[in-house]
Amino acid sequence: MAFLTPFLTRRGAGLLGTWRIWRDTGRLAGRTLVTACTPSAYNRATRDVVMKQIYFTAWQILPTFTLFAALLAYVLIQIVVTTAANYGLSEFALEVSVRMLVLEILPLLTALFVALRSSSAINTEVALMKIHGEIEALEDAGVDTLRLELMPRVIGGVVSVLALVTVSSALTLVLAYVAVYGPQLWSLPDFSRVMAKVFDAQIMLGLLLKTLAFGLAVTVIPVAEGLATPRKLFMAPVSVLRGMVRLFFVLMLIEMLSLAYKYI
Amino acid sequence: MKPVMQWLDDDAGRRALIAAHPESILVSPELPLRANLSVLDNIAMIPEYRENLAYDAAADRAWALLGRVGQTDIAFRRDPDLNHEQRFVAKLLRALVANPPVILVDRPGMLLPDLHYPPYLENLLARLEDLPNDCWILDYRWNAPLYPSR
Repeated sequence: MAFLTPFLTRRGAGLLGTWRIWRDTGRLAGRTLVTACTPSAYNRATRDVVMKQIYFTAWQILPTFTLFAALLAYVLIQIVVTTAANYGLSEFALEVSVRMLVLEILPLLTALFVALRSSSAINTEVALMKIHGEIEALEDAGVDTLRLELMPRVIGGVVSVLALVTVSSALTLVLAYVAVYGPQLWSLPDFSRVMAKVFDAQIMLGLLLKTLAFGLAVTVIPVAEGLATPRKLFMAPVSVLRGMVRLFFVLMLIEMLSLAYKYI
Repeated sequence: MKPVMQWLDDDAGRRALIAAHPESILVSPELPLRANLSVLDNIAMIPEYRENLAYDAAADRAWALLGRVGQTDIAFRRDPDLNHEQRFVAKLLRALVANPPVILVDRPGMLLPDLHYPPYLENLLARLEDLPNDCWILDYRWNAPLYPSR
């Protein structure tokens, strides 16, 4: 029994730590959502920071990401179209391409891209702000850091994921049309019928909710992990590592739940 | 804004004094500037946020304060590019621009380690003499001989 007590104590402490960080992430998400939906939370300073965050997280990467998404989408569409033709299933090529790319691959790919580019930076920045005491300094000067520093990052992340998914999806639809029907316009009625079949209200709502969940995850998790960093400089890389691992699992969980809801 | 000395016997006394004045704003070695903002933006963000001032108006106010203490040349520098005196000035002006009733300068010896800081503080605060805020300097009693006798 003597060896069991320290083992259980260690396990318990670890479990409590894990529980605490998830609880804090949930609380932060709730507080941020409530604040973001409160018009009085926005003043000139907050709006300035929100605009900057949208610029850095969405606008700055739009051309590169759009080009990359277009190339990837075109290659995958060609694979689907060619394979479908080989099996005599060409009439399903458009629907399969759109379902695969617009509903599944592009939202997840966008979330992973934003996570790699911005979430790691947000996690590092918030962790360093916490370690150096910058958050306390702002609070001492009468600044609500949730409104001025954290909420704008979450809004920037959500807008970024939504905007990048929308732009890359629209471009994918154009590429899918061109790949299946060729560069002409008289197949638009056929195309529209397939789109109406794929994008019913339930699917659109599901896509919107999934994209919003991705947008929240890529910002709330790194912010929460950054805020939970102990005030020791050597903990900064550990914080980013933990944040990115948790983010990866949450993104995959959202995707799995979305797939299960649609196809099981 | 004239300095008022608050002599401390120990760290516990310092903490108690700070806790007893929640309306004050601290200038402390433990409360740094925002590292990714310039000095001007560090100062301007306070009135921009608290008074909903337009950025230009807030930056003008920050620039005017920097001008009063003769430090406009640090306006566009960030924290890592500042020396101790410049960093102290930026922190003091960030506190001042919030217009609190009391500014607490916490352990100036830690904020200005390379200076004979009492005369430096006196000269700096003399430039802001007409401002209505109180400025309390929190220093340990054993540093009292460093200050000129009045």
